[in-house]
Amino acid sequence: MSTDATRRDFLRHTGLGLGWLAAVDLLNSSASANGASGLPLNPMAPRTSPLPATAKSVIHLFMQGGPSHVDTFDPKPLLRKLDGQNPPESFGSEIFQNGHFSKQILMASKRTFRRYGESGLKVSDLFPHLAERVDDLAIIQSNFHEGFTHSQGQFLIHNGWPRIGRPSLGSWILYGLGTENQNLPGFVVLLQGGVRSGPEVYGEGFLPAAYQGTSFRSGPSPILNLKPPPGRTPAAQRDFLDTLREMNQSHLEARNRDSELMARLESYELAFRMQMAAPEVSDISGESEATQKLYGLDDPVSADFGGRCLLARRLVERGVRFVQVWSGNGQNSVDWDGHTECDKNHVKRAAETDKAVAGMLTDLKSRGLLDSTLVIWGGEFGRTPTSDGGRGRTGGRDHNPYGFTLWMAGGGVQGGQTIGTTDELGLRAAEYPVHLNDLHASILALLGLDHTKLTYRHSGRDFRLTDVGGTTDLASKLRSA
Amino acid sequence: MGCHGAARMSDLDLRSQATLLKGGKRGAAIVRGNAAASLLVGAVKREGELKMPPGDASLKPSDVALLGDWIDAGAPWPAEAAVSVESSWWSFRMPERPAAPELNEGSRVGNPIDAFILAKLNEHGMRPTEPASRRTFVRRAYFDLHGMPPTPDQVDEFVNDPSSDAYETLIDRLLQSKRYGERWGRYWLDLVRYADTSGFETDHFYTTAWRYRDYVIDSFNRDKPYTTFVQEQIAADEIWSSNMDLEGTLHLPKEKEENVKRRIGTSLFTLGAFPVEYTYYGDLYRTEWRAEAVDTVGAALLGLTLECVRCHDHKSDPFSQRDYYRLSAFFAGSVEREIPLVSLFDTQSNTRSFPLLEQARVLKRMAKRSKAKGEERAELMRKLGEAYLKAPERYATAKVLAHEENVPDTHVLIRGDFKRKGEVVEPGFPAVLNPGPPIEEPEGMAFVPQRRKALALWLTSPDQPLLGRVMVNRIWQNHFGRGLVRTPNDFGRQGQPPTHPELLDWLAVEFAERGWSMKQIHRLIMLSNTYRLSSVGDHKSLEKDPDNLYLSRMNRRRLDADALRDTVLAVAGTLNLRMGGVGVIPPLTREEILAARMPRLWPENPDPAEHTRRSVYLQMKRSLTLPMLQVFDAPDTAKSCARREVSTVAPQALALMNSPFTTQQAEAFALRIRNEARDDPEQFVNGGWRLALGRLPTDTERQKAVEYLKRNSLPQLCLMLFNMSEFLYVD
Repeated sequence: MSTDATRRDFLRHTGLGLGWLAAVDLLNSSASANGASGLPLNPMAPRTSPLPATAKSVIHLFMQGGPSHVDTFDPKPLLRKLDGQNPPESFGSEIFQNGHFSKQILMASKRTFRRYGESGLKVSDLFPHLAERVDDLAIIQSNFHEGFTHSQGQFLIHNGWPRIGRPSLGSWILYGLGTENQNLPGFVVLLQGGVRSGPEVYGEGFLPAAYQGTSFRSGPSPILNLKPPPGRTPAAQRDFLDTLREMNQSHLEARNRDSELMARLESYELAFRMQMAAPEVSDISGESEATQKLYGLDDPVSADFGGRCLLARRLVERGVRFVQVWSGNGQNSVDWDGHTECDKNHVKRAAETDKAVAGMLTDLKSRGLLDSTLVIWGGEFGRTPTSDGGRGRTGGRDHNPYGFTLWMAGGGVQGGQTIGTTDELGLRAAEYPVHLNDLHASILALLGLDHTKLTYRHSGRDFRLTDVGGTTDLASKLRSA
Repeated sequence: MGCHGAARMSDLDLRSQATLLKGGKRGAAIVRGNAAASLLVGAVKREGELKMPPGDASLKPSDVALLGDWIDAGAPWPAEAAVSVESSWWSFRMPERPAAPELNEGSRVGNPIDAFILAKLNEHGMRPTEPASRRTFVRRAYFDLHGMPPTPDQVDEFVNDPSSDAYETLIDRLLQSKRYGERWGRYWLDLVRYADTSGFETDHFYTTAWRYRDYVIDSFNRDKPYTTFVQEQIAADEIWSSNMDLEGTLHLPKEKEENVKRRIGTSLFTLGAFPVEYTYYGDLYRTEWRAEAVDTVGAALLGLTLECVRCHDHKSDPFSQRDYYRLSAFFAGSVEREIPLVSLFDTQSNTRSFPLLEQARVLKRMAKRSKAKGEERAELMRKLGEAYLKAPERYATAKVLAHEENVPDTHVLIRGDFKRKGEVVEPGFPAVLNPGPPIEEPEGMAFVPQRRKALALWLTSPDQPLLGRVMVNRIWQNHFGRGLVRTPNDFGRQGQPPTHPELLDWLAVEFAERGWSMKQIHRLIMLSNTYRLSSVGDHKSLEKDPDNLYLSRMNRRRLDADALRDTVLAVAGTLNLRMGGVGVIPPLTREEILAARMPRLWPENPDPAEHTRRSVYLQMKRSLTLPMLQVFDAPDTAKSCARREVSTVAPQALALMNSPFTTQQAEAFALRIRNEARDDPEQFVNGGWRLALGRLPTDTERQKAVEYLKRNSLPQLCLMLFNMSEFLYVD
């Protein structure tokens, strides 16, 4: 049997990580890591991006529940004037989860907006720390998509499609670029708790399982089943693996050194290396007090989210391609879903996250990582400029996917600019509307990936993150001042 | 041609001489040799009521004259044009029984399957490898038909069976076992994207979906003819319609009871993945529901991917968007309904006396008022959960398909958007797939819709080229790891052509002639010499055919998630073989439950004996797959899964080495060995190997294992057995 066939077959079967291959010098250049067909042989080997890239890795700060744009980054003076009234007829109507726009009552923001930084962009008083970093932010005010419920919205933002079954953004990027660190998962998810749309939202969909997001927790056992059961010492674990390997080796020899069986043996070695590498990355005791303070770890209110932001930096520093940090645990009172008393809800969420987000940007910058790390902040949608139709006048805001704000920083993004606008009430994207497909196409473009070429054949056709849509004009805007 | 081509408006197809002569709703389009009497000529001349083409696009007088001359001349049709382009695609033609190749191979040809396989191997200059040992074969057969290993005694029984029909006896016995339906029912459940909840944020619990799961398992165990199985799932209520008036009866006659059971098959269309939020906007929900029904029928029964046709005509296969909505019209007027499965008498008596539920209610009130905290509260909540689980249903019900009062119009939806309605279409079948006669819709007062019945009969008609081929390919795939067509849900142009087209057709014809009996197809395949081959190939064939397209050897297969979990339980001696009933929720660790939106939506089953039921009886929550199954490539249940992925990733190693599940089962396994072997380490090792791998250890293995036991505990050795390649892969 030719070694090429064995190797090809072997690599095809192998899932997560093959750092050892580089070590034995089977594949030592990124060029040879790609087969003749252009498909990656080692699914996780780092690959050069096909187009010029300004970002190498991504930290997605996901504000579960959907933060209100009119209370954070998109001030609407007209709302104050019309507070308590029905919307003017000229605005028409839209469907929200709990009713129709035209029948609701407009509700002004209780927040004060001020100009910050050299750019003079406006930020609400919810984010005093982040406001100081506004010159790093490109605030995109004109995002929109079609999903007005949480699960649809989350699937759209993460998977580009309103239902389960499609790969997550991080999975696509991992599929396109591989990852630098073969001892850690390439796509790491840092949750606060539950996920409204379920874990499929960071799943690999129809891509190979190697590309799935791995949930990582703080503490000594960050990955599911990472720690051996109580009583099994590291020496006993090694003994277990060595004896197992001997047993499996003779099984393998009797079967023509079958490639899939070889991959199975290697997956145990990788598991062992992960047992070393993962606790190291999640142990933040070596970080200086100043750094810990920067992320708000000294304050119980911000320590939880801050810890995850710090972990995100440590992961990116070690070559992890895509990190998702979640704020909110999927319950209305503990995420951004302000159906009742939206303002109070947002004051709490901001207190938990503001310092850490700003601190992470500062930290990434001082370590020279911000240039290559794209930071994305936002929820699954924004919120309505009206009070929530389903709850009477309790100061709540309903979901609004028709116009909402996300911001980006780092990764070649020119800060200190706003892109696009919503209409005067913040109902719909107005100038320079950015559809979800455009957003995804542009994120891929910043990483040097062409969204029309990053495809995967499944059930009879080539699938893309952007389905049949998407333009990359936004990427050019983000890169230029 | 756009209207009277593949689209067959008014059932008229102008693309061939035969269909022109047959005509459409108004009768024959042409009368050979008589242009004046031909409907088509009148229509294009625009003389009568019928004026074609519609609008201003009338034909030039010279073309009309030409048409008349051609008809007067007898309407000659060039021979090659008589066959339409579409039906030249292999899978759209009816399979015909090919003769098995005549070979000079003697006893190598056990049955015609071998002849087809050997002929191809010869053609490619390869020879089949040696047969597998009986010890290997018996494990293969058990895993294939039951999804579990044989016990050491069952291995010995077969290995030592001196009779000449030992293989037949084994296969027949395995096919009679109830474990068969659990294994093969599971494949079907994958195929029809079965789950117990709706998915999405609400992840609504389909409380009676498990009845469909039990119906499927029972159907496989009874070897229900495949066509009947399909008919029941599409339209049992319309075909065996005496179950329709069930609600009003005092007693349930036997025949009706049987028909009610059939009707549970239609639950297939009540358990897909839906955001329940959609129900706020009825039209959107109905649109998604019908699209999902068409996609599932297309993928699971016809082996066709039709999703793309929802928005535009198919790019590679001859299906138009109109075809799609004509198919979807079969489901117009159908709705989900919860029906009682017992007589009116039983529903009344059961509703009156309901002590256990009352007890649960009392407990609930107590829990609400109680100020208990910590352990005390946990205990109260546990009792409450237990009471609810014990409380019987009010009376047995199932969610099945029924009918609305009126059948709404079906529109072609522009780009698949429910707000953009195009032309109205009637139900009808894709032209290329033997469209059959027009659908007659009965009218009048006693009108009972028959649309799904028409669909079911069409799908299972003797002229349907796909149904049998697609199913025998699935059976083949689950015996060999790969189908003869390697794209089991895509028999269209995007899919791969069969490696052995004649064998596929031969099997499809056998299937139909043997009364669509799946068990007979299993028997046929498993008694072939091809199925008996070793999985260790010789170097020549490994080199020549690394993907084993031509089956010179058996494919080695990793256990899928369900079989792996079941095997761990069986080997540990903890497997609970109770069948059926509402899905079991096994415990999760705190870290496993982290991603669940609401941990309280994972109400662990209080009876630990239930936690070790077979995997097919676990509740499948779309929002959270059991991590042990998920890591070994459980299907995502979003849509039809024709073949489980086989990935090899490090989290699998972590799950097998470190998870509470495997460590606990290793403890039980160790206990089982100890009970049988007292205190002799060599006997421990022998016992472990026999139970887990169906053989004794080699001397080297025994020596290493005994050494290992000097440094480690017996449960550690048992855990190691769960991690061995030999445990995970079937040769």
